[in-house]
Amino acid sequence: MIRLNKARLKATMKAYLFLAPFLVVFIGLIVYPIGLGVRLSLYGQRGARMWYVGLDNYKRILSDSMFWESFRIPLFLLLIQVPLMLLLATIIALFYETRKNGGPLYRFIYYLPYTIPGIVSGIVWSYIFSDSMSPLLPFLELFGRTGVKFLTRSNVPGILLIIILWQFTGYTAFLVYSALIAIPKEYSEAAQLDGAGLWQIALRIKLPLLKGPLFTLFIFNAIGAMQVFNEPWMLGNLVVLPLNYTPAMYIYNSAFSQGRFTYAAAMGIILAVITCGFSWYILRSAGRQILERRH
Amino acid sequence: MKKSFAALFLVVLLSVSAFAADYYPEYTGRPTTITMWAWTSNENYSIEEFQKVYPDITVVWEDFGVHYEKAQTALAAGSGLPDVLMVEYSFAPEYMDLGAFQPINKWLDEETFIALYGEEALGWCSMDGQIYGTPQDSGAIALFYRQDLFDQYGLEVPRTWEEFAEQARKFKAAAPDLEFNAPPLGYALWWVGLVWQSGGKMFDYSDGNWYIDFTNPIAEKVFEFWGELIDEGTINVTMWWNADWYNSLNMGTTATVLNGCWFAEWLRYNAPDSEGMWRVIAPPNFDPSNPHNGMLGGSGFYVTAHSKNPEAAAIFVNWLNSHPDSLRCLNQYSNLPIMVSKRYEEVVHELAVDDAFFGGQNIVEELWHAHNLINTTFVGLPIWSNLDNALSLLLQDYVDGKIERFADILPMWEERVIGFMEEFGYPNVIIGELPQD
Repeated sequence: MIRLNKARLKATMKAYLFLAPFLVVFIGLIVYPIGLGVRLSLYGQRGARMWYVGLDNYKRILSDSMFWESFRIPLFLLLIQVPLMLLLATIIALFYETRKNGGPLYRFIYYLPYTIPGIVSGIVWSYIFSDSMSPLLPFLELFGRTGVKFLTRSNVPGILLIIILWQFTGYTAFLVYSALIAIPKEYSEAAQLDGAGLWQIALRIKLPLLKGPLFTLFIFNAIGAMQVFNEPWMLGNLVVLPLNYTPAMYIYNSAFSQGRFTYAAAMGIILAVITCGFSWYILRSAGRQILERRH
Repeated sequence: MKKSFAALFLVVLLSVSAFAADYYPEYTGRPTTITMWAWTSNENYSIEEFQKVYPDITVVWEDFGVHYEKAQTALAAGSGLPDVLMVEYSFAPEYMDLGAFQPINKWLDEETFIALYGEEALGWCSMDGQIYGTPQDSGAIALFYRQDLFDQYGLEVPRTWEEFAEQARKFKAAAPDLEFNAPPLGYALWWVGLVWQSGGKMFDYSDGNWYIDFTNPIAEKVFEFWGELIDEGTINVTMWWNADWYNSLNMGTTATVLNGCWFAEWLRYNAPDSEGMWRVIAPPNFDPSNPHNGMLGGSGFYVTAHSKNPEAAAIFVNWLNSHPDSLRCLNQYSNLPIMVSKRYEEVVHELAVDDAFFGGQNIVEELWHAHNLINTTFVGLPIWSNLDNALSLLLQDYVDGKIERFADILPMWEERVIGFMEEFGYPNVIIGELPQD
């Protein structure tokens, strides 16, 4: 008995030894700051003065309509952009597979937008949608349309959609493609022998096998949608956006332009809990079905 | 004759040296190093001059892109602010109210402050009798206009707002695709500044109370004036500070801009193709026999609560912003046209030269004149970023057609600002009146 425990202990220690490089960074840069954030969120603050208020910040956030209204854009992205991007990425990935070696040139080109920092591409996009300098204007003039204003507040969600799709679809397609080539060739060969066409193979064989990876990608992108910041932040130079346009923008503005750090910390914790809860719920309900069916 | 000249010279000389001794106390502490966060360009020239006079004080100047973010963080953390922090006058009350600064009356009393910077500047650098810093550049409002467009369309430079409206309508009729003037979509400083420019204010602070009254006669007059021109489509509000806006200034699609005098340098660097086209003049008034002016922007240098050597910091901010040797550097290297200090008078005429970018106009003289028209002051509200965003949203609502009458924005803006004062926990707010000076 004792020897067994010792062996187990040794194995556990070994495991932790290998985990150590990750754990040190993870605890130091993720867990510890979250702990600090939780503590900070329990204080009231004005300038350098801080005092303990318990859960007051959380209570105020529950009735802070500005916080809850800020979820409109993430919800829009979650319901429109994420599904649309996964669909496009899957189509592109299936197209890669029809090319020799997966069409390295196409993969390279589609991947490129992802390598450009969001803020840099944001500046370029802001010129593309500029009122006076947009390169799209000459084309619109061909169709007799002049004085078109792209950047109005009501167009911003659509523009966000375009920018985010442009930036992340190629990258996502790349991930879907890697999942696709992991599917054993025998499956499609067998289907081909049975007389299935390319489309049938794609829809009936490959797509069901891609459910797992697509599902993971959905969760990652849903988290990204909840935290969207760079793109609307940059567009804020061109069109007036409220301080609470997205949750992350509201948190940032509360902390750094209004100096309400403890309130911002509490909102950050709530956003994290919502994101975790959402991922957990999806993983539990839909996820279980999909993953079980696979095995 | 000669004798009296010599005597006068002697008196001037004596008084200057006597002043100098009074204004700038000797540093009594040990050799020290102080830090400063500021975004003015080339501040190092003034610092070099300062260190010649005060060899025991070393000043380390740092400039960050995220100035206010870093300052807010250090303030909340309770440590980490530099000894000297540059803050715009509009944001200064918030920092004063939050306890970010410490009083320097011990080294710069009120009498000296008024002698050096004028009574108006007290409103931007002090609260409840405590002086926290000194004002650097002026944001005196000026009208920048395109001489080429004025010539081409036979326009006259407006002296009154009535004439301004006339020229705007005339221009719109002749050139419907161009803009006579495009007020900012948002940028509360501009709208508050124009009320100030007409001798009014919308809020103030006095004896422990914040006063809010947006719907006073002067503020209403200003909003009605612009509202009429905007509602009828003669002029349009537009987003400022972005590529489209600079492009319109560079290409000559906007004929006039009302802005703080520091904007002269912004034009020079952001609209280089318009060299020689622009001219500057003090802004129009409702009553030209009783002219006023107000400010739009400008910044002060404040001694922070975290400074371990407030004496050195106080001596430095005072010398930096009032000594002629420093003011000269600020004009020549830091590109600030007008400094607030009264002592700028001693060097301004030597610095004012013909400016090729402005078609050979001596803009410093004109802007100095515009600056000297400022004769009222007030303290801004300590929730400036919210005040600013609230106006931006309302103006965007107007542009989107959700608000029909432009002037209706004023009471709506007031309502939101009152809401923010409540939300941020200010119980001492008096609504519907302003303190009597």
